[in-house]
Amino acid sequence: MYTLGIDIGSTTSKAVILKDGQEVMASSIVVATVGTDGVSRAIEEVLKESGLARETLDCVVATGYGRQTYEGADYQVSELSCHALGVHHLCPEARTVIDIGGQDAKVLSLNDQGRMVNFVMNDKCAAGTGRFLDVMANILKLDISCLEVEAAKAEKPAGISSTCTVFAESEVISQLAAGTGIPDLVAGICQSVATRVASLARRVGIKEQVAMSGGVARNAGVRDAMEKELGVTIRYHPMAQLMGALGAALYGFQKCR
Amino acid sequence: MAVNELLAQLHEVASSPRKQLDKYLAQGRKVVAVAPVYTPQEIIHSMGLVPMGVWGADMEINEAKKYYPAFICSVMQTILELGIKGEYQGVSAIVIPSLCDSLKTLGQNWKYAVKGIPFIPMSYPQNRKPAYGIKFTKAGYERVISDLTVATGAYFSEPALADSIRVYNEHNAVMREFAEIAADAELTAAQRSDVFKSAWFMLPEEHTEIVKQLNEELKAGPKAEGKVRVLVSGILADSPSLLKVLDDNGIKVVFDDVANESRQYRTDVPEMENPVDALAQKFADMDNCTLLYDRDKKRVDYIIDQAKSHGAQGVIVLMTKFCDPEEFDYVPIKRACEAAGLMNLNIEVDRQMVNYEQANTMIQAFKEMF
Amino acid sequence: MAEEVKKSRPAPDPNSAKYKLGQIAAKAYSDAMEAKKRGEKIGWCASNFPVEIPETLGLYVCYPENQAAGIAARGGGERMCNISEGEGYSNDICAYARISLAYAKVKEAPEQDMPQPDFLLCCNNICNCMIKWYENIAKELDIPMIMIDIPFNPDYEVSDAETEYIRAQFLDAIRQLEEITGKKWSEERFKEVMESSGRASRMWIEATSQAKYVPSPFNGFDLLNHMAVMVTARGKKEAGDAMETLLKEYKENHEKGVSTFRAEEKYRIMFEGIACWPWLRATSTGLKSRGINMVTTIYADAFGFIYDDFDGMCRAYADVPNCMNLEKSRDKRVRLCKDNHVEGLLVHTNRSCKLWSGFMPEMSRQIGEACGIPVTSFDGDQADPRNFSEAQYDTRVQGLMEIMEANKGGK
Repeated sequence: MYTLGIDIGSTTSKAVILKDGQEVMASSIVVATVGTDGVSRAIEEVLKESGLARETLDCVVATGYGRQTYEGADYQVSELSCHALGVHHLCPEARTVIDIGGQDAKVLSLNDQGRMVNFVMNDKCAAGTGRFLDVMANILKLDISCLEVEAAKAEKPAGISSTCTVFAESEVISQLAAGTGIPDLVAGICQSVATRVASLARRVGIKEQVAMSGGVARNAGVRDAMEKELGVTIRYHPMAQLMGALGAALYGFQKCR
Repeated sequence: MAVNELLAQLHEVASSPRKQLDKYLAQGRKVVAVAPVYTPQEIIHSMGLVPMGVWGADMEINEAKKYYPAFICSVMQTILELGIKGEYQGVSAIVIPSLCDSLKTLGQNWKYAVKGIPFIPMSYPQNRKPAYGIKFTKAGYERVISDLTVATGAYFSEPALADSIRVYNEHNAVMREFAEIAADAELTAAQRSDVFKSAWFMLPEEHTEIVKQLNEELKAGPKAEGKVRVLVSGILADSPSLLKVLDDNGIKVVFDDVANESRQYRTDVPEMENPVDALAQKFADMDNCTLLYDRDKKRVDYIIDQAKSHGAQGVIVLMTKFCDPEEFDYVPIKRACEAAGLMNLNIEVDRQMVNYEQANTMIQAFKEMF
Repeated sequence: MAEEVKKSRPAPDPNSAKYKLGQIAAKAYSDAMEAKKRGEKIGWCASNFPVEIPETLGLYVCYPENQAAGIAARGGGERMCNISEGEGYSNDICAYARISLAYAKVKEAPEQDMPQPDFLLCCNNICNCMIKWYENIAKELDIPMIMIDIPFNPDYEVSDAETEYIRAQFLDAIRQLEEITGKKWSEERFKEVMESSGRASRMWIEATSQAKYVPSPFNGFDLLNHMAVMVTARGKKEAGDAMETLLKEYKENHEKGVSTFRAEEKYRIMFEGIACWPWLRATSTGLKSRGINMVTTIYADAFGFIYDDFDGMCRAYADVPNCMNLEKSRDKRVRLCKDNHVEGLLVHTNRSCKLWSGFMPEMSRQIGEACGIPVTSFDGDQADPRNFSEAQYDTRVQGLMEIMEANKGGK
């Protein structure tokens, strides 16, 4: 049985094809804002990579920000449930999942069966989300994927104290003007996101193991800062960004089995 | 009348308060605006005036920004905005209690921002139960009575207050009965909200008549099935988009601890010789509200008890952004829910929300956990 | 309320007001610590609670607001706020409350420790947020809470009904505290405390009024530190002594033509709101570097607890900033601006304080008009460092200065 999971995020579309609820046949990530052809491109790519035709798919499940407007799915499930499923599949020991996405940050609590039993999401403020990193990367004229590399070079991370994105922006600019180096600034920005999300995580209660998923999980700067903040080791699977899509595919398997 | 007709009638009232205001004004009645959360509506009613609730509206804030910084809740901001924009034109006065810090500032801003509608303060005591507290409540009522007379020319009499108290007590009973029936009846969250919201824009005797009929119809009607049962807590729960999210996700509101809804109807005015004393005693008897001093956080136990007795599987807190009293209470509520094995969800809301995507995701995930 | 972090300086003169005031503030903490060790019951007390009551009863109390300011000024605000946010408290809640709730949980802060409470003394004449904050601590630590409710007064004068309500609560509070602590109320002792409080208040008001001289004999930021004693110790005799010394120093400064404002005083402003403790240095330097002296604040008037009897005391506690209507709040400030030759008003829009900031735009407009002075505001917070932007502050202060400059030219 082949199931396709599509995670339609605010800035990227991800797709995973799963065979018999176990083996990942293929995956794709397309950077494109929600509402564009990103979804269809992600699906095209994943089909091409797997060598399967769309008709052979037994079930298609959509998740993510754009899940409700996407019409090609058999089911739509929230990304919280999907991240829980995906992480549990690849890291069965994980009990806490931290997912920092483009628009929001969420922390999930899983029980021993891997079922999500509690969660919290960020409030209205953009601090502690991928959006905050985007804005900051933009000011520093860096690609978001470079943040990790820059953060690793930091000698003395700069203190970015403002949580308000507008204030943090002016803080970063003043520090730039004062001659603070880019790596130290980037490390400071990562730290700021980590501190904010750590508060969120404490609300659910940290149970080990802790895993990170979502696009920002790739950023080792944020991951390291989170580890220090929470005082725990954070597991990171190379497929972190695909956890939502994987979870959706797993959901499809459970439904059609 | 059939259920749908009754509900349509209440929906119409709930969604067009201005029409109601114009209707009462056309009848030659004088209308007095009452601000959140508690005001002596019985007194206003007894003086032949029509009390109408003002809780702001889902709208953009422009004019009020001249008076308020961004971190004051949108309920206060939009009440002031509507006042400045003349939406309350025709109203004879506004009664504003000082039950929270933002309400204190609303009255002060009102005096300068809104011309032509006098501000009448209602000072309630927080130590409301001892005899000295009750006496202070009474002094507050007396102040409201004299200010109302100045603003409207209407007179106060004790027998008239005794009559109005009976009208309000009956309305309370009917609303409490509705909340119980609505726990099981096939009724959407939006329809349930209309019943509560419309009460703010109608004379209580008129509202009682409709809700009485509705209660009878609902009792005989079909029961809701296959829904996730929740208790909703917060200041307000009337945003159509948010209610739609609840309905679309099969969430059934089986009881509420919402300031704009059931909190209004929990306590009756007791039978006493002097009706003003009786009304002051009512305030002393009120409990389980974030704005009323509560050393023992009885409100938290109350929420858990009500959730259990109504068969709720979870508690959804609709947190009015910048409402600090509610933000303080949230932590003990969250802990109590966890201890009682009730799922709980905190959704930040305000009256400027246009995007309900995050709320939708949270509510969908909440449902998926059952 | 807290010492600004400064570079090492020569040891202060033990006869100076600054030293004496610092000692009193520090002693309040150490006395409470020792009393706790002796097994006495300790209270946590709201800053505008009638301090005469614990003082007369001989109780040791600590002031969480003072502690939170101290923690914030010494750089611990963000850490403590993060702890309570981790518990589920919104970052929109008053940062003093967030720091205090965190302290009640972790029970230590290297910046400023104080003993854990056995009872709470709450008074909401500064805000209703106090009630919720203390409710949560009372519940969490399972300790008694004495609640004195002083409702916001919508009128210019304090009514008889309000005075009577407050009096009854004061008596009730005394009775409850006698029961909790086993100590007894003494009328004689009360008279002494009343006199001490009155003397300290008179000295404070007179000392702060020395800003009427141009240039002012002091830097208004001094007041933010010295007022800690008015908050915590106004009922003690030493407070009056220290305030008398302060007054003497300010008078001498004026005679000698010197000032604790260590720059040329080119402009004189009133500062509105609680200090931005985490950014005290930045906010103070931003003024001093431009020759702007903050010569007065409403604190100069806030601790005028001068009265003759118990009823007078009840009225005095209803007549404090944040409990007054806009007109009275405005008039008091207009008088301060005029008495002290103020040329501009700088308003701290304090994210922690909804009550103080909630009608400030309208009131500051009215003050500006009444005094013919420019008004500007900046965003900040009394204890959460994350709600302030130095760049914004600098721009606003400079703008204010430029208008003051232009006004001088026109005269």
